[in-house]
Amino acid sequence: MKIVLARIDDRLIHGQVATVWSKATNCQRIIVCDDDVANDTIRATLLKQVAPAGIKSHVVGLEKAVRVYNNPKYENDRCLLLFTKPASVLYLVEHGVDIKSVNIGGMSFHEGKRQITSAVSVDDADVEAFKKLNEKGIELEIRKVDTDKKTNLMDVLNKQ
Amino acid sequence: MFGIIVGTHGMFSEQLVKSLEMILGEQKNVRAVTLVPGEGPDDVVKKYEQAISELDCEDGVLFLNDLFGGSPYNAAARLVINNEKYGIVTGVNLPMLIEMCSAQMVDDGSDIKALMEKAVEAGKNGTQTFHASQIEDDEDDL
Repeated sequence: MKIVLARIDDRLIHGQVATVWSKATNCQRIIVCDDDVANDTIRATLLKQVAPAGIKSHVVGLEKAVRVYNNPKYENDRCLLLFTKPASVLYLVEHGVDIKSVNIGGMSFHEGKRQITSAVSVDDADVEAFKKLNEKGIELEIRKVDTDKKTNLMDVLNKQ
Repeated sequence: MFGIIVGTHGMFSEQLVKSLEMILGEQKNVRAVTLVPGEGPDDVVKKYEQAISELDCEDGVLFLNDLFGGSPYNAAARLVINNEKYGIVTGVNLPMLIEMCSAQMVDDGSDIKALMEKAVEAGKNGTQTFHASQIEDDEDDL
């Protein structure tokens, strides 16, 4: 599998991903990697309906995501991976998935989280996961769309 | 670069550009022009000319109007008839506008007629249907 983008965006497939990132990365597949979403039949079914023209969308749990990554059948496929939270990215990385950079597009605010930019809110578990990804030398960049300037997430966290 | 002017009846154009910016971020070479009750095509022509003077329109102007034959369209047509680098597409919707702003960012030097065709295609492809009966079992499911 060729990972053309790993993005954390809890809206998953929505306007920015469907219209901007799918084109900018020229991906063939969009793979949502999340245990909760994979277990939510309605959400998973609807996500499979909204793939942009010419692109397949899939929803898989984390364990399956690792299996798909290692499956030689998909070796040459250009895949855009979507996550709802950094802990899921960390799971993949710790299970041998080669991710060098993570784009953080949107993490919505809810109780128990703190807002760090207009589009990104985090809780303690998110911060822990981001720190571990950072320690592994993985780039963590905040951008809504590809033409935005990259903001380093760790710089924003360290300013808090 | 070519300029994009969204011209509609009422505030539709202004709000459409705001919706666009929710997705693509701030857009510098796009203007919304409105026709409000009491105004006529002459007023809209003036607004268009003002917008053109403020935008980078070196490669032309693309007018995206709501209704074929409506006043915002008629006013745009008066300008378009005198300039080969100008063109109009009607039935503006968000998918069409997003596609044109993406084309503007790439700026591959397409001529206005190619852009107009692209806009029509994006507008049509943006109209889809969904009904529960359309869910099918997918054989290519990783």
